[in-house]
Amino acid sequence: MDSSDITTLEELKSYLYSAMQLEHATLPPYLVALYSIKPGTNLDATQIIRVVAVEEMLHLTFAANLLNAIGGEPDLTVPGFVPNFPTYLPDGEQEFLVHLAPFSRQTIENFLQIERPSLAPSGVNKLVARREHGPFLHLGTHPRQTTMRYYSIGDFYKAIEDGLVYLEGEAQKQGKTIFTGDAGRQITSQYYYSGGGHLHPVTDLATAVTAIRLVIEQGEGQTATIYDSQKELAHYYRFDQLIHGRYYRSGDAIEHPTGEPVSVDWDAAYPVKTDVKLADIPAGSELHQAAAAFNQAYARFLAEITEAYNGKPHKLMEAVAHMFEFRNAMTVLIRNPLPGSNGLYAGPTFEVSPEAAGAPQAGAESLEVVA
Amino acid sequence: MISSIKKTSLAEIKARLEQHPIEAVIVGTGISGAIIANELTKAGKNVLLLEAGPGTNLTLQGYNEFLSNFYGATSKDNQAPYPVNPNASMPRSTNLRKLQPGETDSATYMVQSGPYVTDTNYTRVYGGTTMHWEAKTPRMLPEDFKSQTLFGQGVDWPLGYDDLEEFYQVAEREIGVSADVEDQSYLGVTFPKDYVYPMKGLPLSYLDQQVAKRLDGTEVELYGQRYPLKIRPFPQGRNGIPNDKYDRGQGYVPVGAVSNHQIEIGERCQGNTNCVPICPVQARYHSGKTLAKAFQRATGSIHLLVQAVASRVVIDPVSGRVTALEVKVYKDPKSSEHETVTIAATIFVLASNAIETPRLMLASGLRSSSGLIGRNLMDHSYLLSWATMPEICGTMRGTSVTGGIIDLRGGAFRRHQAAFSVDIHNDGWGWAVGSPYSDLTTLVDQYNLFGPELRRGLINRISSQLLLAFMIEVMPSESNRVTVDPQYTDQLGNMRPVVSFTVPEYTMRGAAYAREFARTVFARVGAADQSRYDPGDYGYVAYNGQGYAIRGGNHLAGTHVMGNDRNRSVVDTNQRSWDHPNLYLVGGGSMPTIGTANVTLTLAALCYRSARSMLDQLQ
Repeated sequence: MDSSDITTLEELKSYLYSAMQLEHATLPPYLVALYSIKPGTNLDATQIIRVVAVEEMLHLTFAANLLNAIGGEPDLTVPGFVPNFPTYLPDGEQEFLVHLAPFSRQTIENFLQIERPSLAPSGVNKLVARREHGPFLHLGTHPRQTTMRYYSIGDFYKAIEDGLVYLEGEAQKQGKTIFTGDAGRQITSQYYYSGGGHLHPVTDLATAVTAIRLVIEQGEGQTATIYDSQKELAHYYRFDQLIHGRYYRSGDAIEHPTGEPVSVDWDAAYPVKTDVKLADIPAGSELHQAAAAFNQAYARFLAEITEAYNGKPHKLMEAVAHMFEFRNAMTVLIRNPLPGSNGLYAGPTFEVSPEAAGAPQAGAESLEVVA
Repeated sequence: MISSIKKTSLAEIKARLEQHPIEAVIVGTGISGAIIANELTKAGKNVLLLEAGPGTNLTLQGYNEFLSNFYGATSKDNQAPYPVNPNASMPRSTNLRKLQPGETDSATYMVQSGPYVTDTNYTRVYGGTTMHWEAKTPRMLPEDFKSQTLFGQGVDWPLGYDDLEEFYQVAEREIGVSADVEDQSYLGVTFPKDYVYPMKGLPLSYLDQQVAKRLDGTEVELYGQRYPLKIRPFPQGRNGIPNDKYDRGQGYVPVGAVSNHQIEIGERCQGNTNCVPICPVQARYHSGKTLAKAFQRATGSIHLLVQAVASRVVIDPVSGRVTALEVKVYKDPKSSEHETVTIAATIFVLASNAIETPRLMLASGLRSSSGLIGRNLMDHSYLLSWATMPEICGTMRGTSVTGGIIDLRGGAFRRHQAAFSVDIHNDGWGWAVGSPYSDLTTLVDQYNLFGPELRRGLINRISSQLLLAFMIEVMPSESNRVTVDPQYTDQLGNMRPVVSFTVPEYTMRGAAYAREFARTVFARVGAADQSRYDPGDYGYVAYNGQGYAIRGGNHLAGTHVMGNDRNRSVVDTNQRSWDHPNLYLVGGGSMPTIGTANVTLTLAALCYRSARSMLDQLQ
């Protein structure tokens, strides 16, 4: 085993916070693409994107379980938790930007970049210097050495796994454990289940490693095989089906799906303005109010999830009900033209910081009407 | 769940028939056929399933096409999602009309004569009626199995509650029932110590809670006995929160949407109000989930032939054994062009439903030596009562039904009148008058509302709607029956069912009391009664000077009744035909009485029990 990048429990906690941030950061792009699809069209694409988004939430929840298991306190309301899109993700030697953009071939290719399986080749340093220094958040950055980032998300998770093994090993030598978290804070499959992957509580090294590997295998991962150990199609290959216009089936070679055809109509999507900001929407307009209201609703949702991850798992149920509301609120934005944007449409901006949220009261009322 | 479920072509089936003898042919892919297919394939048996419909909904995409049909349909009746198919027609309420006494309507698939017309129906597509069912899954009461002994009504079952209990558990696992034992332990229904349902009970709707607030703890008096009332949640075959105590702490893994690709959406119930006629996310059980398991496990030993309508059961006149099944395999629903094939097997299982199974037997000239095939047709009779709640109650939120009143499902009064179970409908007056669409018409045409006022008006009008649906028991009566008549045939030339049904007086006494009971409930909760029964209604029944519109319940039963005496029943307690030792008639038709339990759970339990007997026979 390589020597661990992570040598203290506090470091491990900050890595796991970054992991939560990373898992969450894929949700807004996936949701914008999903809801930009015109109703009744692209049924295959709708299901594929939806399933991946659901599994990203599973991964987010696993990251929270891991953090809780070692006595951390997941907090999705920390300013800066939600990236100001676009945001950087590592891709080997390069970094690339993840955008909030409508369903299109280009967007799916962006998603493929997000999910591309890669690990630093042996001999290549898995920590590389950041090249880009724009204003945007860099995911996969080394929490301590902020000018360094991981070669890939897979390497980032591998570092967490190594850290868990190292720290628990050290603790065991002294007859202790790092898994001191309250088991009651774990989210179990009672509260969350999807067909892909069973959510289990994390209480020791074995369950922690299983959780990490599931996250790695399902997506953003390192496995270079189409199906993971649970015979699940990895996220990269799910999206790849849209590019190839065919479903994968077991036994297929990479890049050569031979299943039933997947019909894709790249044009059947609302042309949402890429990385739209509140500032792009005329102030005082209904659209602006709706966008501000959405951001507030999203902030409330993150607050509820945070409560759920902090000892009130039943809050996840309420959060689910609110997801329907913000789905409707997103749809209203996505289906409305944006004045002065040459035919582009509005969309959710995901600016959840208090200063970005805009006029609170008027927005809240208008959300109620649309919901 | 993912399954490699697929159709097999007729040519392939024919080729296989020569090499691999079929051990069991099963007619129908509803819950009975699915359970038996799954149980037989578990034991490695070679099974052929016949489905009359085209099976387009084997795929998620096909299922979702049904959903689009429903969304686009102007009538939201039980068959709205399912395309018209003249080769496998189904009864449909929207085609019915009022009939005078003696008048016959043969324009509808199920031929009926006046004065009473039932709008009972079933769905002839892959998955059968579990495609449109509401998925309420109460067990029968122990007293329901002994209604002749206890109340002098109907007949006793040859089995008791205790004989079925273990099979109820298996059926609850397969369907994936969400309920809490403490809510369902009443009127003698017992569970083994430490039993929990696979998933936790679904919560009562806000509307249920508003009714409960004023009704719980009050009583009614009936024939000198007092019955306390309480709004309780119903057990439901839809995905909720898995109970981690299930199966001695093993927990339960819910079955989500079925797909042949990795689109495992693993849905739990989202509270859409259109459980009937189709769940948008497959949180509600349908038998395609059970068949998906069979196909996943046993590719190679289970085959599905679609567009295959069983048309004749062929019998060896000496032994009485079934030698073959004649099946008409059509090429296109629009055309009568078909090929008739003869399929031999070791055992034959007719799992259509309590109308189609006796129809096929009678069309084959098989009346059974007891003469009881097609007789004793039962269904629950429904009486609807609707009212306006004194405040907004959030109607139209939640599944079709979450709670109701079960306190009059059992009791000594059953000597005199039928028992009933009461549903509180979360979908407002939809069943009675067509809400919310009828509300829109009313507000636009009669009140001239538009814009924000119309929106507000709709909210106010709809969200205070309360509809109580009384599901009233019907006892067996030989004159309520299914027959066939060569003058009434379908596009393939198969004889259609001719149904004669009169609501028995015992049931009407229950209905008259139900109406009185509804008024009592409305008065207690402060709701304004809005119920009207139109003498022009096809289901209108006059009783003791009052008129009632009686609806069918789609809980068909009784037409190949089980018993211990071959002269007084059609099948034995394993649902095996007395006359034809390698023929099983399974499903609701075997049930001697139905009490006040929606029939699916009980018939599913019976199928698990019968599957054991089939396996013994196939050894």
